Amino acid sequence: MNLLTLLIFIPVLFALVIVLLPSSQRGSFKYITLLATLLQLGISIYIYINFKTGAASAGINHEDQFQFVQKLPWIGLNLGSMGKLQIDYFVGIDGISVTLLVMSALVMVVATLASWEIKSNLKGFFLLFLLLDMAVMGVFCALDFFLFYLFYELMLLPLYFLIGMWGGVRREYAAIKFFLYTLFGSVFMLLVMVGLYLSVNDPATGSHTFNIIQMMNPANYAPGSVFSAAAHQTILGVPARTVGFVVLFIAFAIKVPVVPLHTWLPDAHVEAPTPVSIILAGVLLKIGGYGIIRICLGIFPEIASSGAFWLGLVGVVSILYGACNALAQRDLKRMIAYSSVSHMGFVLLGIASQTAEGVSGAVMQMVSHGFLSSMLFFLVGVVYNRVHDRDIYHFRGLGTQMPQYTAFVMVGFFASLGLPGFSAFVAEAFTLAGTFKSPTVNGLLPYWMAICGSIGILLSAAYFLWTLQRMFFGKVSLKGGEVWKIALTDVSIREKLALIPMAAAALALGLMPSLVFGKINDSVLALIQFLQAK
Amino acid sequence: MSSLLPYTDTIISYTIAAVALPLVASLINFCLPVKSKLAGWVSTLAILLGCVFSAMVFAAVWDQQPQHVQTMWFTIGTTKIFAGILLNNLSVMMLLLVSLIALPVHIYSTAYMKYDDRYSRYFTYLSFFCFSMLGLVVVDSLVLFYAFWELVGFSSYLLIGFWFTKDKAVQANKKAFIMNRIGDIGLLSAIIILFAKFHTFDIATLFISDNLVFKSVIHDGLWISASGQIPAVWQYVACIGVFMAVAAKSAQFPLHTWLPDAMEGPTSVSALIHAATMVAAGVFLLGRVYPLFTDSELTVLAVIGCFTAFMAATIALTQNDLKRVLAYSTISQLGYMILAMGVGAYGSSLFHLATHAFFKCLLFLVAGVVIHEMQHIKEENDLDIDPQNIQYMGGLRKKLPLTFIVAVVGSLALIGIPLTSGYLSKDGILIQAFEWSEGRSAWLKLIPAGALFTSWLTAFYVSRLIVKVFFGEFRLLKKYPEIKLHISDGGWQYRVPLILLAVCSLFPLFSLNPFFYEKAWLFESLKPAEFMARENIYHTIIPIGVNILSVFVIYAAYAIYVKQNTFSFPQTGFFYRLSYNQWYLDKIYRKAIVKPILGLGKTCFWFDRNVIDGLIHLIERTSRMVASLTAWSDKHIVDGFLHLMAALVQSIGNFARKFQNGKVQYYLYSMLLIVLVLFILKILI
Repeated sequence: MNLLTLLIFIPVLFALVIVLLPSSQRGSFKYITLLATLLQLGISIYIYINFKTGAASAGINHEDQFQFVQKLPWIGLNLGSMGKLQIDYFVGIDGISVTLLVMSALVMVVATLASWEIKSNLKGFFLLFLLLDMAVMGVFCALDFFLFYLFYELMLLPLYFLIGMWGGVRREYAAIKFFLYTLFGSVFMLLVMVGLYLSVNDPATGSHTFNIIQMMNPANYAPGSVFSAAAHQTILGVPARTVGFVVLFIAFAIKVPVVPLHTWLPDAHVEAPTPVSIILAGVLLKIGGYGIIRICLGIFPEIASSGAFWLGLVGVVSILYGACNALAQRDLKRMIAYSSVSHMGFVLLGIASQTAEGVSGAVMQMVSHGFLSSMLFFLVGVVYNRVHDRDIYHFRGLGTQMPQYTAFVMVGFFASLGLPGFSAFVAEAFTLAGTFKSPTVNGLLPYWMAICGSIGILLSAAYFLWTLQRMFFGKVSLKGGEVWKIALTDVSIREKLALIPMAAAALALGLMPSLVFGKINDSVLALIQFLQAK
Repeated sequence: MSSLLPYTDTIISYTIAAVALPLVASLINFCLPVKSKLAGWVSTLAILLGCVFSAMVFAAVWDQQPQHVQTMWFTIGTTKIFAGILLNNLSVMMLLLVSLIALPVHIYSTAYMKYDDRYSRYFTYLSFFCFSMLGLVVVDSLVLFYAFWELVGFSSYLLIGFWFTKDKAVQANKKAFIMNRIGDIGLLSAIIILFAKFHTFDIATLFISDNLVFKSVIHDGLWISASGQIPAVWQYVACIGVFMAVAAKSAQFPLHTWLPDAMEGPTSVSALIHAATMVAAGVFLLGRVYPLFTDSELTVLAVIGCFTAFMAATIALTQNDLKRVLAYSTISQLGYMILAMGVGAYGSSLFHLATHAFFKCLLFLVAGVVIHEMQHIKEENDLDIDPQNIQYMGGLRKKLPLTFIVAVVGSLALIGIPLTSGYLSKDGILIQAFEWSEGRSAWLKLIPAGALFTSWLTAFYVSRLIVKVFFGEFRLLKKYPEIKLHISDGGWQYRVPLILLAVCSLFPLFSLNPFFYEKAWLFESLKPAEFMARENIYHTIIPIGVNILSVFVIYAAYAIYVKQNTFSFPQTGFFYRLSYNQWYLDKIYRKAIVKPILGLGKTCFWFDRNVIDGLIHLIERTSRMVASLTAWSDKHIVDGFLHLMAALVQSIGNFARKFQNGKVQYYLYSMLLIVLVLFILKILI
């Protein structure tokens, strides 16, 4: 049994168990889910440990260098004169995906632990949860565009229901907004995918293919086909490959999210229940960044280079705009949601720089943000569960009321604002270093972008520290008075179990960045080389 | 680059031990219960051992070959990031200095914080600070330097806000961290620029052994070195970035306003962090990256240092908060150090850093004793007073004799009276500043003049402070004659650190010759190679001039505040208000920077809600409208047409049905009618 396949489909097996169990057993559902995610975590760690490094296993555009590969013919229809429809079940990982897999698996465990708060319709919730789990793992492993798209769309459905049914007051608005935003992106992605399919021929069989890696090789494009670089086709007067890149980029940029395509995020976060927020921030956003690296850069490298300035620009705008917005928030969850926008801007900036430091920093930032944002949303959930309020102005002096909780919040906040010793510092510092190096190395980005990016680091200190001071320090004063005082108990063992791994992971990556860099280095170098060769 | 002397390994492991011991202590204390009294001894023991190790490292490295070892930390792309230790005169001096200052502060703290509810937390943070600071001075890579630089700021944040239920304290620590963050991004930018330019983070390669930075040149708008070229403007930006970092940490104008507020923390913390060590980190950074600055950039440094020294001294003249006066005096003295760096008096700057650390720490610990006793009086008698306000003090020399004596020693050192360490170091700065201004434009002559003038201001505000606290009558007793006083110098944990630091504030520690700064061993080892021996008149005139006038100023202060027999200063004039309100900088910053940024945040959010979401909602409404339009057309036009057709068919059917009613006459009649119609039509057509 292929490990990746196992990793992807374990949740489905457990979901089947949940389906078959009667509702009277609903108390066990969360444990079943926890078992599934723990199993997944175990497998992903095994994969991580056994993941080979070295230039010979870099991956990117070499199919034979991918690891844990499973490739099975899946749909093969003979369409007569139109050739053969060839869709493979093709999964495999390289350095870019391996660290994200481990991160996602850990986030899933924490999200499960956060699901203890869910009280209604447990069967439905955990079923959808596990379905979502399967889909996100699938996205990180899929190397066939059709399969990728399938998993990508499959994420949407459970999320829509998870937000729309278990969410807050305005859950329907948020769910619809989220759904439409993402659907808008992916519908056009479908068109480009079909276009690519019709343009690319598998050199082995001669038929069209959805193989992403073969799409990276210009030699595989049929002469005169719409996305062939040599054919210079245009769509509505715009070069076809530019259109393809932009469409795919928008689809992923919505996920990242990039300003101005980000407004679904605060609403979705504010309305979503804690576990869904955790998955949303921890894993979903990373799919955007991952997609840009794997698909946008991989398939349209020359457009990525010529458009690097604009990529970097939206990255910088996201960093600053997200941070400014976070400054203005009084809802704790919304504040953290906007800080996500700001932090994910670094990912885009790093990718745009196309330097080893920048791209590595971007991947590191994705992993780091996965841990830290999950931790932060979990922390918001802790307070929200107790008093059903998270307005920053309604609390004061929580440091006295909940000392351990405050300690975790401080770890989360300081790690997020880039305190050295934690992962975000390494990620952001090297993203900026790569960005600043870009003008001398490849001339893609101007120098000032790095300097502007660093202002985001300053602003993040401002909003996090303001929140700390306003909400956690000072004398105890709560809007709900004595009732809240009784309700606001310190973190429980279960909550600590969820928080400590996150904090530990962020700390470990900050002290030993080689945990990530060691695994991704060869792939990043191969990617840079691939981008330079175009 | 790494020397392989036989004792290398031991020295390096001693260094690591000196740095790591406080970290270990911090971790142990973190696990102890919050009130555990053990914590104090764990931390003190750690720093004591650290002190011993530092002294051994110092003895081995001072004036010897610098030591540099490193190990690979991680690889990113093709860049290898190293972590290592770089020991040269500068770093071992700081290593020893920090441990030496930290030791008495630790001892003092065990008594000072005795009754605090979070005793072990205090020592957790204090030890963590020592770890960060010691790490900062020995690391060899700019990445690590930045990391420790921020950790120092972070531990300072924790300690300023140690009493986190106090609103002022948490406002102050937020301000301190954010101000320091401004400096941090400057430093980060500078590091990134250096990395992009020279492809390395290694301090030794950049500034010492290979000195790549020094070898690079600015030519034709380009900054050129063997590793490539980038526009020259980035050299300036790097310098500005470093300067921002220095200004933030070492409290230079315009980023100094956090330091006076930082006095909300425990006084022992102020003594260690905000007077002696952390705030000197900026000067240390300048010492590390000195070759980066060109001549004109150094001049800017000198101007800012001089201005800061002057401005802070004018503010210190009128403050009534004991710690605030000392805080501004710290800013002023740091200004001297930056000024010294700017005029090329590298050795004097670091010398002043070392001497200042001792006497300023001493003065703060004195302040701690005084405040502690005032607090004691306040609690015992249930008074509503500010225990830090010097207006309530006076005549304490009889109650706190030892404190008084060491305070006088510290003050004389701060003023720079001969026989103290402060005289040696400050004189050096003044003399070299005058020498530097020789042959420069008249405007730049203002710098040494300003520094000179500031030294008299210093004499005045220090004397005012000492006189108000220790001389005359106890003003609190005048106001509340009924209160009882049970105050004393305190136990040995107070006395020993005070005496120790007072001894270190005198000349013998630094030089056997109490009058000539050039003879100080610390200075001799740090001075630049091309240093000129005393050959001009400044070396004689300045010390004499400074000191004679200082004595007069001290007497004037005594006369004004004790005898009250001369004029008193007007407390209404513009200059008084300017000084008392700290040049209004806090207000200006709040209005000109904080508010606009918050406003920008609000605007962004408004934009988000109304423009971006508005657009989304517009699209939503438009598509809904289109949808309802199509629904309407579906219902009324498409379906309407269908209904029309149906109705038409129906009515035709109904009409035709009328002919089939089964009556023969009717059939005949209609047949006749049709034939007739046909006939008529035929005729007509």
